[in-house]
Amino acid sequence: MISFELAEPKTLNEAIALLDAEDPEVRPISGGTALMLMMKSGVFRPSRLVSLQKVEADYSRIERGSNGSLRIGAMASLSQVEHSDEVRRVAPVIEKTMRHLSNVRVRNVARLGGNLAHGDPHMDLPPVLSSLGAKAIVAGPSGQREILIEALFSGYYETVLKRDELITFVEVPPQAGWSSSYIKCTTRSADDWPALGIACSLRIEGGSIGDVRLMISAATEKLTRLVSTEKVLRGQKVNEATFERAGESAMAEAEVIGDSRGSASYKSELVRVYVRRALRQAGLGETQP
Amino acid sequence: MTIHKPMPAGQVGRSLPRLESREKVTGRADYVHNIRLPGMLIAKVARSTVAHGRIVSIDTSAARQVEGVFAVYTGEDIRKIIPEPYYGPAFHDQPILALGKVRHVGEPVAVALARDAHAAEQAAQLVEVVYEELPAVFDEVEAMDSKAIVHDVLKPAGTFPDLKHLHGKKNTNIALDFHLRRGDVDKAFAGAAHLFEHEFHTQQVMHTPLEPMVSLAEPTRDGLTIHTSSQSPSFVRIEIARLLGWPENRVQVKVPYLGGGFGAKLYIKLEALVAALALLTRRPVKWSLTMEEQFYTISKHATTFRIKSAVDAAGKITGRSCAVYWNGGAYADIGPRVTQKSGFTAPGPYDIENVAIESYSLYTNRPPAGALRGFGIPQLVWAYESHTDLIARELNIDPVEFRRMNILREGRPQATGTAMKDAAIDLVLEKLAERMNWSAPFDRGGGTVRRGRGVGIGFKASISPTTSVAFVNIYADGSCALYMSTVDMGQGSDTAMAQIVAEVLQVQAESVRVIHPDTDVTPYDMATLGSRSTFHMGNAVKLAAEDAKQKLEAMARSVGVPEGSNLETREIFKKKYGMQAGNVMGVGSYIPGYKSPDSVSGMSDNITPFWMIGGTGVEIEVDTETGHVKLTKLVNAADMGRPLNPRIVETQLSGAAIMQLGFTMFENMEFDAGQVTNASFADYKIPGIHDIPPAIENHIVLAEQGGGPFGAKGVGESATFGVSPAIANAIHDAVGVRLTDLPLTAESVLRAIRLKAGNPIGD
Ligand SMILES: Cc1cc2nc3c(=O)[nH]c(=O)nc-3n(C[C@H](O)[C@H](O)[C@H](O)COP(=O)(O)OP(=O)(O)OC[C@H]3O[C@@H](n4cnc5c(N)ncnc54)[C@H](O)[C@@H]3O)c2cc1C
Repeated sequence: MISFELAEPKTLNEAIALLDAEDPEVRPISGGTALMLMMKSGVFRPSRLVSLQKVEADYSRIERGSNGSLRIGAMASLSQVEHSDEVRRVAPVIEKTMRHLSNVRVRNVARLGGNLAHGDPHMDLPPVLSSLGAKAIVAGPSGQREILIEALFSGYYETVLKRDELITFVEVPPQAGWSSSYIKCTTRSADDWPALGIACSLRIEGGSIGDVRLMISAATEKLTRLVSTEKVLRGQKVNEATFERAGESAMAEAEVIGDSRGSASYKSELVRVYVRRALRQAGLGETQP
Repeated sequence: MTIHKPMPAGQVGRSLPRLESREKVTGRADYVHNIRLPGMLIAKVARSTVAHGRIVSIDTSAARQVEGVFAVYTGEDIRKIIPEPYYGPAFHDQPILALGKVRHVGEPVAVALARDAHAAEQAAQLVEVVYEELPAVFDEVEAMDSKAIVHDVLKPAGTFPDLKHLHGKKNTNIALDFHLRRGDVDKAFAGAAHLFEHEFHTQQVMHTPLEPMVSLAEPTRDGLTIHTSSQSPSFVRIEIARLLGWPENRVQVKVPYLGGGFGAKLYIKLEALVAALALLTRRPVKWSLTMEEQFYTISKHATTFRIKSAVDAAGKITGRSCAVYWNGGAYADIGPRVTQKSGFTAPGPYDIENVAIESYSLYTNRPPAGALRGFGIPQLVWAYESHTDLIARELNIDPVEFRRMNILREGRPQATGTAMKDAAIDLVLEKLAERMNWSAPFDRGGGTVRRGRGVGIGFKASISPTTSVAFVNIYADGSCALYMSTVDMGQGSDTAMAQIVAEVLQVQAESVRVIHPDTDVTPYDMATLGSRSTFHMGNAVKLAAEDAKQKLEAMARSVGVPEGSNLETREIFKKKYGMQAGNVMGVGSYIPGYKSPDSVSGMSDNITPFWMIGGTGVEIEVDTETGHVKLTKLVNAADMGRPLNPRIVETQLSGAAIMQLGFTMFENMEFDAGQVTNASFADYKIPGIHDIPPAIENHIVLAEQGGGPFGAKGVGESATFGVSPAIANAIHDAVGVRLTDLPLTAESVLRAIRLKAGNPIGD
């Protein structure tokens, strides 16, 4: 009989104490939608799982700050995030993303923290949250630290989190004056993992791009900010020619990898098209009040 | 939406909701997965990691050490129970556990048994096998003359007389070759105004029944009871009895509901191993596959199809040659039948004087392929309807018009020489044209979204000759039950058959109890496959009900009830037996006429008792920047004779079309050295709700099948036929490129568009 320990701590500190910085067989579990698949396929055999279910109440709240920022508990389910008025008011792009994120059964169970911590480059929320400039609040034995979502990932299924650290909150800064979009591309069934995700946020000032955050996911090894393309965009007029140039630039910049969803060269073509389309959507969309 | 007049009792032709629907949605329906027996052991197998290799050694010592493991067995242990442990419907080529050699990645090599599934699984993983790898062959065309030989000797089962000549053949991967020659195709080619030649490919895909295969064997005092998720309980009993050298009556096979089958659960699959294990251990043994393991168990043939046509100046097809190569994988399963039976119709539903067909069933080192919803027909229609469309375009003839000019009409001989009868191919084509508004101008879109439309039609011969037997038992209170071995795997056969009984006995279909397959109780049926049940079992059920009715009438006469009296059935029984007692048992047995194709010419004037006809039309949008194809409209039309239950027919049509949509657009088993690299639902995608086109229409053409029960025939596969070519034809229509390989991925569409524009995408 193969067994493992399932710990159900009541407080965050207890949870952190039950984790082990050195032991890869000890892991936190929130919704379990990703972890159970790994266990089923034999990729991961735990000695101990630290369930976050019972510490959840404190860390699943969603609050809007007086300045228009957003604070989402990492243990909030994706459905909670999807249906939150606060979230919709600050960043409607999140709600739109949710509708096509997997299916309602997964969204009811999966948690925000799990979606980020898993490190899977195909997840939808990392590009969206990072394009909004969001950061993760992380707690460990020696206290708290903040990590920008765009800096959370260090490789394919790898994050900068230590084994005994937990994501506790996600903070989204005020979005006033910004307009955001996210488009993903699936190449097999509509509910497949994306072959490509492009998220962008534009701050438009007098018909020009004042500032921009442009993220690519799924087609690359990890979530990546398209820094050179952002330079191409800053200060430019919001028009088709600008979007076109950005598409070309992104195609050259992104290091895409081929897999069963498409060859690298095909995905490069998609990058060009989808960057243009995502920029068009954000550029022509309404900015946040 | 049926246009057929109702039958007198109003039972046949009624859109009765499925009898078991309440049981299913409330979670009360029985499935083999739910069965737990005292002392039951769980089996998990260790599978081959190489595509082709000699087994040098198998070390099970570490596996045996796992706590809780009851036993670990290899092929040699199976031999203690079954000396010749090879099974299969067409060839006895598949070992219960590998012996001497493995022929595909994933082949079962050893089995671990434990009360606990996790312990069994861990033990199976600890089985150490050393292989001496052999050269492997994966491609069906290469297998024709490859040095790598999958089976040293061919071992036809003898079940099918026309395979006997292959017995003992060596040094070949050709499990069966079917040839047909009619007229003089070379002469037609020589004299043609136009010649067209194309090659098409289909990929290997899987049935993905949502209930994975599962079997449980239980030793009884002097026999075995097998609970199994099978489409063919009678075949399982016969084959297990053959393997064990027992009479049939010592093996009982029981089948509750199935969570889908689609041809995956045919003949024997897991049953032979659980039977052997139950006898080795004297314990109940259950073996449940995971979804992942199903990819290594059975699949749909990948194919290569070379097709060539001669067309005269007037646009009439005068000659056609077809060479079809079926990638059967490592074990024949029913592949040779697919090769031959679908080979009959390879030139398509067209009136062509001169025809030559070659159809080859090939062994390769891939997981085995068998029958999947359409029995090979969708692979053929894919090629001949793409080819037909290409010809029409090339000749500047409207594709529907070109089909009209060449279509096989009632009474005309089909390729085998069998005259078409009750085959409303023309009605199906016309229904599509009408519903697609074909003659009206069509909005072709603009900018980066281009619109197109296409059609595809196909037909299929029934798998013959096969037998069905049914009992209808009238109880002393006048209620009745139907005993049959047709398996309701979701297609609604319980409901349709109850409607037949009800029509004959003039009762409500809801009141007919359907007894599920149990070979101790229910009579023989060849199998639930190839859309044969409605026609074959339907006839047997109708005969059984009529027999019961006549016997009841005779009983009434014998107790002096006057002719035409409306005395209740229970009163007749009372008069006969003095109390509520007795039975009236009606028996029906049905086998249609059939003539085997001539061994040289491939011809026969009676190749099938009925034809299945289906067609599909689609409207699509192509994103010219990404290659994405979006279906905006899907129209299916079919001839199933008189629909027994129009609502069920409609769901069969839409279900079949959507399943084929997955095989057309993205489903694909990907391989690396014989290993399936996407063997899970995370990476092998089937259509979900968002892939369903916004507009789907399903049409039943007004037809009647002679010899069918109340004029009905099968329909489970008909809407798979036309889907793939209709979409490829629509893509051609929209953006002027032709794809010849399935699946039609966005990437392949974009590559073709860019190639045509002189701006190709690099590798
Ligand atoms: C069928 C299916 C389809 C899917 N499709 C999509 C899709 O289209 N788009 C998409 O974005 N996602 C998709 N997902 C993924 C889903 O969103 C993730 O599985 C989910 O977000 C993970 O959350 P969880 O709470 O279940 O994580 P878990 O499985 O509990 O954990 C995942 C990982 O995160 C760690 N972890 C969990 N919580 C924390 C925490 N608070 N701090 C630190 N580490 C933590 C765990 O140790 C584990 O390593 C799909 C999943 C399934 C099963």
